Amino acid sequence: MTVRTLAVVSAGLSQPSSTRLLADQLAAATRDELVGRGEQVELHPVDLREHAHDIVNHLLTGFPSEALRQVLDQVTGADGLIAVTPIFNASYSGLFKSFFDLVDADAVGGRPVLIGATGGTARHSLALEHAVRPMFTYLRAVVLPTAVFAAPEDWSGGTAEGALRSRIGRAARELAEQVHRAAPSRGPADPFALTTDFEQLLRGGEG
Amino acid sequence: MQFGIFTVGDVTVDPTNGREPTEAERIKAMVAIALKAEEVGLDVFATGEHHNPPFVPSSPTTMLGYIAARTERLLLSTATTLITTNDPVKIAEDYAMLQHLADGRVDLMMGRGNTGPVYPWFGQDIRNGIPLAIENYDLLRRLWREDVVDWKGRFRTPLQSFTSTPRPLDGVPPFVWHGSIRSPEIAELAAYYGDGFFANHIFWPAEHTQRMVGLYRQRFAHYGHGSADQAIVGLGGQVFMRRNSQDAVREFRPYFDNAPVYGHGPSLEEFTSQTPLTVGSPQQVIDKTLGFRDYVGDYQRQLFLVDHAGLPLKTVLEQLDLLGEEVVPVLRKEFESLRPAHVPAAPTHASLRAAAEQANAAEQSGADAVTGAEDRR
Repeated sequence: MTVRTLAVVSAGLSQPSSTRLLADQLAAATRDELVGRGEQVELHPVDLREHAHDIVNHLLTGFPSEALRQVLDQVTGADGLIAVTPIFNASYSGLFKSFFDLVDADAVGGRPVLIGATGGTARHSLALEHAVRPMFTYLRAVVLPTAVFAAPEDWSGGTAEGALRSRIGRAARELAEQVHRAAPSRGPADPFALTTDFEQLLRGGEG
Repeated sequence: MQFGIFTVGDVTVDPTNGREPTEAERIKAMVAIALKAEEVGLDVFATGEHHNPPFVPSSPTTMLGYIAARTERLLLSTATTLITTNDPVKIAEDYAMLQHLADGRVDLMMGRGNTGPVYPWFGQDIRNGIPLAIENYDLLRRLWREDVVDWKGRFRTPLQSFTSTPRPLDGVPPFVWHGSIRSPEIAELAAYYGDGFFANHIFWPAEHTQRMVGLYRQRFAHYGHGSADQAIVGLGGQVFMRRNSQDAVREFRPYFDNAPVYGHGPSLEEFTSQTPLTVGSPQQVIDKTLGFRDYVGDYQRQLFLVDHAGLPLKTVLEQLDLLGEEVVPVLRKEFESLRPAHVPAAPTHASLRAAAEQANAAEQSGADAVTGAEDRR
């Protein structure tokens, strides 16, 4: 049996962070669903806050630090991705976008992605649909139908049986189903791999 | 092994005093740096080519021709010649002319250029970067090797019965390196033709360079030019030295912190640990540079970037003194003692001419053996 990997990216800034809390709940629910389907699961939680300087440095220098490279490899090499951002000024946070700006356009193509967000008001919830979903669509990821938004009232109502919990459950099932069905990830892409040869290049093919 | 310097030719404000050199000052500084390179015993001076501010060297052969007239031994090169936006016909002519004027002390490093807006200024499109490099370079090679060329391609008007003049000196085209940071296609191109491959190396982690050089070596062998360790490899390096390493760090830090390429990003300490940048004593530069060989193998050319980020000319000339007096003599000796006999040195005009004469002689004697002919062509 192969081990399925889930990268769990959280762009929360505070400590503790409701964004990270939502990411953890999505991850745990997805893991349970996958285990229920007979899969072994490995979770790779990523707090972007810890890599904020490295992310900016990569944007400026064009290459990642060793620590950030490992994170990028975990994200682009995972079987499934859970990506959760706080909503700032009606869109994903700058840190969240900056991180995914470092992901090559082909690196998560075809990969199932569960998107989530937190915000100070439920009126931010459609930012998932007008900002986060199109970004992953551009990256040619398979964005799951259920996107999970957690507003303050979702946390205040307790965590056991609320509406948030049922959305988490539905989203987790969707992600688990996709991961379960897909062939195992072959790991991160190799940017130095030669995909063509010179005769082909000379004939005008670009590989 | 060849040692030298390469310059981008940027006009950058000196962050310590806010002074920006004029274009005239920068151009003359580049010449002074080249002359100094010869004076302190370095082998190569390579200039960038750019067509947008803040860079001054838009006309490399003008500058190199001038330097050629004022030097005796220095090998004149480029870093890089834009094979995408320059007309290959003009490259063939300009550098053959330079070859004659400089008595063969010329080679070139091809590069694509990565600034999108520059391409249309020369009638091209950056989206065709790789195909342009491939087609133009293939034509350039023919123009130097065939006296009369009939040619038709995708990016340039066709040529009919065209002879590029002057013909290369002694019928031997300049040696060509291909510079690349992370395009495997360029390593493949260099390997296909058996040309040199120059890894920019600076600004990037060693892992990048190792992978690119490894690919080039493997494909060089694949195309039958020799064993992988006989491929012709050059590396960039970036140094700032003072006798006392703490002085070097203190003096260089404001330049680092504001440098156009990496300024306002990682700390000097992070960057020196992640890339080949060495800021310290001559001995530290020696140690780090010798370490390059551990991940690229025996290589043929080491170029240092020393005149960037707004460093004043006086400081750059002091860097060249340290390179020439303390660093390069040790590196020469050490690298040479490590290099196995079957690994060639970087080709020069003299070595290429000798190889061409040998090949001609072998061909002739082979032909004689077959035909029994006595006459000589």
